[in-house]
Amino acid sequence: MPSATMNPTPSPPALAAEGRVATGPQVGRSLPRLEAREKVTGRAEYTHNLRLPGMLYGKVVRSTIAHGRIRSIDASAAKAVPGVYQVVAGEDVIKVIPHPYYGPAFHDQPILAIGKVHYVGEPIAVVLAEDPHVAETAATLVVAEYEELPAVYDELEAAQNRVLVHDELKPAGTFADLKHLKGVRGTNIALDYQLRKGDVEKAFAEAAHVFEHEFRTQKVLHLAFEPFVSIADYKGDRLTLYTASQGPSFVRIEIARLLGWPENRVRVKVPFLGGGYGGKLYIKLEALVTALSMIAKRPVKVSLPMEEVFYTITRHPMTFRIKSGVDEHGRITARRCEVFWNGGAYADIGPRVAQKSGFTASGPYDIENVSIDSYALYTNQPPAGALRGFGVPQLVWAYESHTDMMARALRIDPLEFRRRNITREGGRHATGTPLEDAAVEKVLEHVAARMNWSKPFDRGTGAVRRGRGLAIAIKAVISPTTSVAIVNVNADGSTTLYCGTVDMGQGSDTAMAQIVGEILNIPAESVNVVPRDTDVTPYDMGTLGSRSLFHMGHAVKRAAEEARDKIASLARELGLPKGSNYSVADLFQKKYGMQAGNIVGAGVYKPDYVPPQPGTGLTPNVTPFWMVSGVGAEVEVDTETGHVRVTRLLNVCDIGRPINPKICESQISGAATMQLGFTMFEKMHFDGGQVTNASLADYKIPGFHDLPAAFENETVEAYQSNGPFGGKGVGEVATFCVSPAIGNAIDDAVGVRLTELPLNPEAVLRALRAKENRPLEDA
Amino acid sequence: MTPFELAEPLTVADALRFLDPDDSTVRPLGGGTALMLMMKAGVFRPTRLVSLRRIASLSRITALPDGGLVIGALTPLSDVEHSTEVARRAGVIVRTMRRLSNVRVRNVATIGGCLAHGDPHMDLPPVLMALDASIAVAGRTGKRTLKVENLFAGYYETVLKRDEIITELHIPAQGGRRAAYLKCTTGSADDWPALGVAVSFEAEGSAISAPRVVVSAATEKATRLNGAEAVLSGATIDDALLARAGDAAADEAETISDVRGSAPYKRELLRVYVRRAVRQAFEAERPLSSPPPLAREGREGAQGGAH
Amino acid sequence: MTALRTISFTLNGKQVSAQIAPHHSLLEVVRNDFSLYGARESCGQGLCGCCTLIVDGRAVSGCLYLAAFADGAAVETIESLDRDNVLDPVQEAFIEEGAFQCGFCTPGFVLMVKQLLDEHPDPDDDRIRDYLSGNLCRCGAYPEILRAVKSAARKRRASKAA
Repeated sequence: MPSATMNPTPSPPALAAEGRVATGPQVGRSLPRLEAREKVTGRAEYTHNLRLPGMLYGKVVRSTIAHGRIRSIDASAAKAVPGVYQVVAGEDVIKVIPHPYYGPAFHDQPILAIGKVHYVGEPIAVVLAEDPHVAETAATLVVAEYEELPAVYDELEAAQNRVLVHDELKPAGTFADLKHLKGVRGTNIALDYQLRKGDVEKAFAEAAHVFEHEFRTQKVLHLAFEPFVSIADYKGDRLTLYTASQGPSFVRIEIARLLGWPENRVRVKVPFLGGGYGGKLYIKLEALVTALSMIAKRPVKVSLPMEEVFYTITRHPMTFRIKSGVDEHGRITARRCEVFWNGGAYADIGPRVAQKSGFTASGPYDIENVSIDSYALYTNQPPAGALRGFGVPQLVWAYESHTDMMARALRIDPLEFRRRNITREGGRHATGTPLEDAAVEKVLEHVAARMNWSKPFDRGTGAVRRGRGLAIAIKAVISPTTSVAIVNVNADGSTTLYCGTVDMGQGSDTAMAQIVGEILNIPAESVNVVPRDTDVTPYDMGTLGSRSLFHMGHAVKRAAEEARDKIASLARELGLPKGSNYSVADLFQKKYGMQAGNIVGAGVYKPDYVPPQPGTGLTPNVTPFWMVSGVGAEVEVDTETGHVRVTRLLNVCDIGRPINPKICESQISGAATMQLGFTMFEKMHFDGGQVTNASLADYKIPGFHDLPAAFENETVEAYQSNGPFGGKGVGEVATFCVSPAIGNAIDDAVGVRLTELPLNPEAVLRALRAKENRPLEDA
Repeated sequence: MTPFELAEPLTVADALRFLDPDDSTVRPLGGGTALMLMMKAGVFRPTRLVSLRRIASLSRITALPDGGLVIGALTPLSDVEHSTEVARRAGVIVRTMRRLSNVRVRNVATIGGCLAHGDPHMDLPPVLMALDASIAVAGRTGKRTLKVENLFAGYYETVLKRDEIITELHIPAQGGRRAAYLKCTTGSADDWPALGVAVSFEAEGSAISAPRVVVSAATEKATRLNGAEAVLSGATIDDALLARAGDAAADEAETISDVRGSAPYKRELLRVYVRRAVRQAFEAERPLSSPPPLAREGREGAQGGAH
Repeated sequence: MTALRTISFTLNGKQVSAQIAPHHSLLEVVRNDFSLYGARESCGQGLCGCCTLIVDGRAVSGCLYLAAFADGAAVETIESLDRDNVLDPVQEAFIEEGAFQCGFCTPGFVLMVKQLLDEHPDPDDDRIRDYLSGNLCRCGAYPEILRAVKSAARKRRASKAA
């Protein structure tokens, strides 16, 4: 893959003087991942592999209906299976955890269903056994009876509040803008976020052209290859959790709250994750295994088979109604956005998705009058949460399709239309926050240049037609959040880093070690990054939303700087002249008379932030940094079958200055590949609330043959002024624009506009046939 | 998976003794890849499986003097894939293998297993039907032979009795027949097909004779399309003929809806893919002295998919 | 309960035996009885390749392969590749090209690439894509894997020539 700014891998420096002195800058090195050898030899640690002495396996029994009251759960046949240790239901959980409801935004999700079930697949009981096959066999014998209630699946229907998912809203109290919902009844709306800037109605009335469109996205999921897995080991006054979690600090806080314990009696250990993508955040199986271990008084492991992952957490489906007014010069003067997020049966982080992404719904465009309403809705579907982009890829699908539709209707080139309307460096976002270090224009021009946009394009012949499209987008990082790090310099000069960022494949351990190495002038390879363990590693808000490199990067940098400064003051204290050749180990030796002691540096980072004004959502500082990306796509459409082949996908991102260029490039290509699946074919199919394709055999994800022939991942020259070494997050940025760029290319090729994902062959053929006035008839 | 008993007989006769004509929870097992999926999903909970893997006589490939092939039912698909005799005598099978499921499944799944399973999404059954293959079946009361095209009774259903075992596959000599299999996936490129189309025919210049056209995956079982065959039979190949054959196929096939596409969509796919499959067979295996190829049309998928 | 039986096989070159039930998969046996964790169950359907094992020289999906079938066979796992603490050229290439992110699917890919190169020492892109189509990487490291396969092929040819 060609790359505009990424450097070839320099060979790693030799570990000079037992790895204690760097031979060059550490930031900017394309260093292979620190744990690379463990991963290629199969020896990397995952929770998936862990077994504890005396451990029981739990097999979850799930609701078969979407909404109803539980009349009875009969576990007698299951208990009679030889080898079954116990069968646990909601009433058993209440005995050890009196208020067993959890969630980051709302305390709405029970550990096991109590009284009611709210979606097909909701856990209602667990069979415990030493042999997982026994637990599995017995689980099929648990019989539940329900009184069925009407269910609501669609977000627009849910917004009508005719069928109610929950009787009463239970905000967690952590977020200020949710507090007013406490105790509210008669609604499915878990958040109604508003942004108001200018006067959209007046501007629509004055506009030369007004366009209004509606877009939808489907339900998809993370499908990390290490399915959800957690182990709890309850020892009376101590609890240890081993879990595949992206947020060990949150897990500790939430489990401690459920138990009414101080944080320091709960220990959360997280080895490497076999993928996360936002799925392994907040509480997934951790509260369940905690309750099970308390009940069984033995360690308990719950490890979901892939099919059950489909009932755990997904991405938000969404309906987006967007209306824009355009003046006679092709300038957008007003935009109204109404976004309905299908959050499923439990809020999880959905209300934050509705707000923190909702406020970017008007896009990277400089529009005088903006109105945004973003609704988080409960439905009787499996819960939705964060997935690589926190809602932004869904929004961009809508607003960048809308942009092209307007450009085509106005007979303005889509690139030119964007040029007239983008917010340029230093301009303000709709919230009023300046768009600083956000290379919107640069990214757009880079895409245009690399796509040879001004040159003629081969449109194909016969049944196969070719087209091209582009899209551009921004996202804000969720704010304000906090990270803490500790750097420990040992008596021999070797260095250990303690930070709670979870390495789930994004390479954070390596990047953080590079930051330590840069400050302390040691090779990054020599830094020991301690696996996450809340007894040892300090607080971090979570590995999510592309925040780690920026927030934890700052904390790590500050911790390393404090250690460096303490080393310098120790040298001064020992009377050593500046620039003397003493090694760090010599300082300790001199100070303590032997190899002894530590120097500990700590760093905390929380960015500045100004809360948005209630009602208008306006604020001068909504985010510490912006993510920006653009995509150019070329497609071939088979007009006889509707098959779309993406022949070229050009991903261009502003990632500031890459700390590790090679890992950044793989983040870009990985994010784009994932979004390609969400764009072209990934979809959870439902029948009355029941997922009908809950397996990798029927829910397909991209494989080798789905990769575009030309797949280019590039960055623009950029520097995030307030970022650590000019860097910023890169995990999500390449997901934003893939869907609309391809949708726009399809329109360009065959003149049909799809407004709902995925862009699968049948959808394309149906649109083509509808356009030809010979629609595909359903028998 | 829930517990079961496993029998591993060394002879066909012993294997038959372990089967039970009245018990649907007792089944023979070849490579097990397909059955294991059903067992893991809990849709099949056997009490006894009768593994045929140790019956050595069932895993040979024999080239017959008349140009035909006999393939033991327990032959792994990868052995068939790598057989030079199969490549020479029935090349379409080897071409089909390249995108049939994946290497690991082909290493374990057996030729008999993929027939006995009765899954309409499998790639080989329609190909074998197009080649007019037959199977030898052993039962307690003796042996019988059966055309593959008569094997399937419905969705995951065959005409085999519970105490019968497929022992070998016979592929008759193909002579100068041309054949193609096209697989159409609608999700990721590698998926179970939404539609499979296998064709074979004799061609004398541009004239087609003895055509066999088979649809799979989009219908409840792999099915010969007699209407399309009738259109092709004795006709001269040109664009209009191919279109008529596609239309005939679309008219007669009963396509079904699932997550891979609606019934009407699959009917449209069939219309296109029959045309493309005949064209591909005609062109790809065209003798050196035949007329020039027809104008290129839509992107042909020698697409693959999960097994 | 079904009776246990003893199977004997070679595991990474060593003669071993295990007590198994008929419904145990070979994957469960290598993980639970021999603590070899490089092969993992992910999709559980033989589609993702995370559970790849080599039986008598052929790659199989360990999650779909009954342990009973391994009686008398030679079984190899990813852990056989660096027995002397020396990485296989495929592993070296994966590290150099950064051909993985979370690493969960990586051992399966490494084993499949080794098989591919045994069969096709100089594969082109189509061959690589076809051969590896049964291995999925949710992190999407496909471009890097493609490069690693080619790099590993070069390494192997160079070491053969030397």
